[in-house]
Amino acid sequence: MDGDGKRHRILMVSDFFFPNFGGVESHIYYLSQCLLKLGHKVVVMTHAYGSRSGVRYVTGGLKVYYVPWKPFLMQNTLPTLFLTFPIVRTILIREKISVVHGHQAFSTLCHEALMHARTMGYKVVFTDHSLYGFADAGSIHMNKVLQFTLADFDQAICVSHTSKENTVLRSGISPQKVFMVPNAVDTAMFTPSPERLSCDEIVIVVISRLVYRKGADLLVEVIPEVCRLFPKVRFIVGGDGPKRVRLEEMREKFSLQDRVEMLGAVPHAQVRSVLISGHIFLNSSLTEAFCIAILEAASCGLLTVSTRVGGVPEVLPDDMIVLAQPAPEDMVRAVKKAIDMLPGIDPQMKKLYSWDDVAKRTEIVYDRAMQSSKTDLLERLPRYLTCGAWAGKLFCLVMIINYLLWCLLEYLQPTEGIEEVPDIRLVYAHLESVNDMCRIQSEGN
Amino acid sequence: MEQEGKGEVSSGIYTYNHHCDNGFDIHEIFVKRSRFRVLLSYIGMVFLLASVSRPFLSEDKLSPGSSVWSITFGILVAKCLQYKPVKKESVVIMPTFGVQLEIHFWSGRVHRRFVPLGKVLKPLLNECVTPVTCYWSLSLLLCDEEELMLVFQKSRPPVKMLVPVWKALGKFLNSECQTCSAVSEPGSQT
Repeated sequence: MDGDGKRHRILMVSDFFFPNFGGVESHIYYLSQCLLKLGHKVVVMTHAYGSRSGVRYVTGGLKVYYVPWKPFLMQNTLPTLFLTFPIVRTILIREKISVVHGHQAFSTLCHEALMHARTMGYKVVFTDHSLYGFADAGSIHMNKVLQFTLADFDQAICVSHTSKENTVLRSGISPQKVFMVPNAVDTAMFTPSPERLSCDEIVIVVISRLVYRKGADLLVEVIPEVCRLFPKVRFIVGGDGPKRVRLEEMREKFSLQDRVEMLGAVPHAQVRSVLISGHIFLNSSLTEAFCIAILEAASCGLLTVSTRVGGVPEVLPDDMIVLAQPAPEDMVRAVKKAIDMLPGIDPQMKKLYSWDDVAKRTEIVYDRAMQSSKTDLLERLPRYLTCGAWAGKLFCLVMIINYLLWCLLEYLQPTEGIEEVPDIRLVYAHLESVNDMCRIQSEGN
Repeated sequence: MEQEGKGEVSSGIYTYNHHCDNGFDIHEIFVKRSRFRVLLSYIGMVFLLASVSRPFLSEDKLSPGSSVWSITFGILVAKCLQYKPVKKESVVIMPTFGVQLEIHFWSGRVHRRFVPLGKVLKPLLNECVTPVTCYWSLSLLLCDEEELMLVFQKSRPPVKMLVPVWKALGKFLNSECQTCSAVSEPGSQT
């Protein structure tokens, strides 16, 4: 538990982390780095990726446990309910964790780790990164799992007010326990181009996964119409996916090979160089809890045109974004408005969001979680009964079995037998002394 | 035989012992034999004997197929319950020669591996993660080898017993490197 004043020892748990790349992965990484800078200890737990298994130390001394559980579906660990308890317990004890922070409702490892952590009496925080529906079978099951996890939790974080509303409705939890902490952008990496682009030719950039959820079908309708109405406009499309074929067919059908450039998958390190080659960023997502992509584009000085879905309207101020309904006609109208606005905008980088601010706000959530009272099993079980007539009883049974399993693990491998890991901090003083030696040597020559 | 500096540390089923003998630095990890595991291995043997003798002693003639399956199952159970208890694992540091890793079994058998000095780059304290647990291990980083060599192959002693062995190996390698560089330094007087 926390013994150094307000210094927290955080375990971030999710199925989604590097080397896999995406919004959740970046969020965990950048948040962890900023929390380390604030003086907290952060450890990440995820599943193994191929041969990447075991303990790794990444930038800033961030320790990552790649637990050798193979993913079975869409990067998710096989849900076993109880089999992850031994390794989760071992990590919690040996790293002297004080708060467990799970990420993403779709991560089975996250749900299991939070369940085990609550059984052992640790404080838990959950961050929901996506919006989910209510009607289809997958969403109904996912929402039930979320209800179970959040029935007995300390605090939750959502990345937008829309996401908070969605999470509260899906899980039935109290809104007072849900904080809104937005995502941020790496402002050191995403900076505007030093030279302002000429407006003789308008370049519209699209970078996204070419899948249904990201509105690739909308692009197929919008791009030819925009090219017809505005002869000076050309498109750069980065990204790959199953809908790429449709875009290629669209290019062929309307003979837009010289006006629509398809880049394919763009590595994240090269996204900025693609963005600064354009004037306008087009986002056609059908659902987004936050949308970091438009933030990155705005940080690079682009004017954004986006669909008005989910949490997108909350991300940027009105002078930096033009919103449209997810329909081709309205999107074309929005592109026209953006082209008219272009000469008047100032592409200089504005201070939008920063990960340091996100870390400070998350720290407040941790402080609030640590203040919540300790509860034993008998006090916690009634919270699960509210999950449903049958589901509530089933969840109670699962928690009772989990508690008995914990007792068994305590008997087979007592806490005293698990060695605690010493804290390893990076020695920045050593690096400074090395630089001094180099300077002295160069002066001697 | 000379013996110097006896240090002993016990924790759970492991006991660490360190002593010097004729200039050799010896680190030993003793393992307590588990009576429960011995009992299980006897049960496995009895099960195997029963599986093998059942086709011959049974009044009803069993089909050859089912006999083979029952004998195979008996072999598998006996193999799983088999227990080859380790008495101790030791690390013998021989100055100017190298490191000898030994496994002594209760049956009297000894398994030895010698690693020449020039082959060892560094001793490493490694955190190993399995699907159910995480523990410390001491390994040697070897020249021209992709895999690390575990110093203690059969046992998992606690890290407080691994640290003195790790330090001793590190000190040994550093001193040997310094000796080599002093000998090869141009203009050095002997």
